[in-house]
Amino acid sequence: MPPAEPLAAVPSPTDAALITAWQGGDEQAAAQLVRRHARALARFLAGAGAPEPDLDDVVQETFIRAFRAVGTFRGQCRFRTWLLTIGGNVLKDAHRRAKRTRVVPLADDLRSTDGDPHERAVAAEAERRLGDGLGRLTRMQREVFLLRAQQGLEYDEIAAALGTTPGAARVHYHHAVRRLKECLT
Amino acid sequence: MKDDATFHDAKLQELAQRLGTRAAERLDVERTAQAVVTRLHAEARAPARPSVWSQPAWLKIAAALVIVVGAGAVARGVRQAPSGAAGSVETVDLSDMSAPQLRALLESVGQPGTQEPVSSQDVGLEDLSPAQLRTLLASLDIQT
Repeated sequence: MPPAEPLAAVPSPTDAALITAWQGGDEQAAAQLVRRHARALARFLAGAGAPEPDLDDVVQETFIRAFRAVGTFRGQCRFRTWLLTIGGNVLKDAHRRAKRTRVVPLADDLRSTDGDPHERAVAAEAERRLGDGLGRLTRMQREVFLLRAQQGLEYDEIAAALGTTPGAARVHYHHAVRRLKECLT
Repeated sequence: MKDDATFHDAKLQELAQRLGTRAAERLDVERTAQAVVTRLHAEARAPARPSVWSQPAWLKIAAALVIVVGAGAVARGVRQAPSGAAGSVETVDLSDMSAPQLRALLESVGQPGTQEPVSSQDVGLEDLSPAQLRTLLASLDIQT
């Protein structure tokens, strides 16, 4: 009996296919989009200043707004990039409502049991200072920095998502880096 | 110096990539997905509640214009109200008037636009046109 051939990997549907399926009434397509992008969105939002206790709510609200407005998504950038910019708007609204300052989860890093405790403390301190520095940037500088340095996007895509030019996005990024370096030294 | 800058760039990049990672790892993605689907499902089943602010922009602008124009008309009416006595129109039967009353009336008609009182010495019967004189005489005949 010949050995069984390995099953051909089923390609996962693209974001565009899932969006079309959701628009056709397939709720599981929406759930799959959430599963695919929720962590990246949560990282972006946490980096942009979302307090951890509110993170789940902000992520949910971002997806809800995105699905409501998905008809306006014209593919000018990737779905995830578009989602991150919506997340930035949701976070801004949440900050305005709550009028509270960023809560940096400093203890999270100290709670970790991996590695040398001194190194963990140093890393946590650096992360806290970076968080503080990000909080002092303009919204555009902060979002450009996170999209570039955290999410690894190219300037073209950042510019398309934020409604600016690649050159302007580059300038915002360099201003952000200069100011953040000042916070870290 | 350049090495130092490169070091800082790399450090910044590394920190940025780590930022929010732990918080994101703690997110219960499956629970979030189900919560989002539940909310979307509830929204889809809920009857549409059209609010004022969900109307098309032109409708809102038209409504605002109506309010502004209406308010302007009301304000203008209020401003003119104190002098409303002058604006009121009364019907007067000339046949019921005496000669001095008619004279006074003719004097006031003969000076349109002026607010100053007109003395009887300023205007006499010689100032009336033939038609006005005929009307006056006819009314005097009726009275007598």
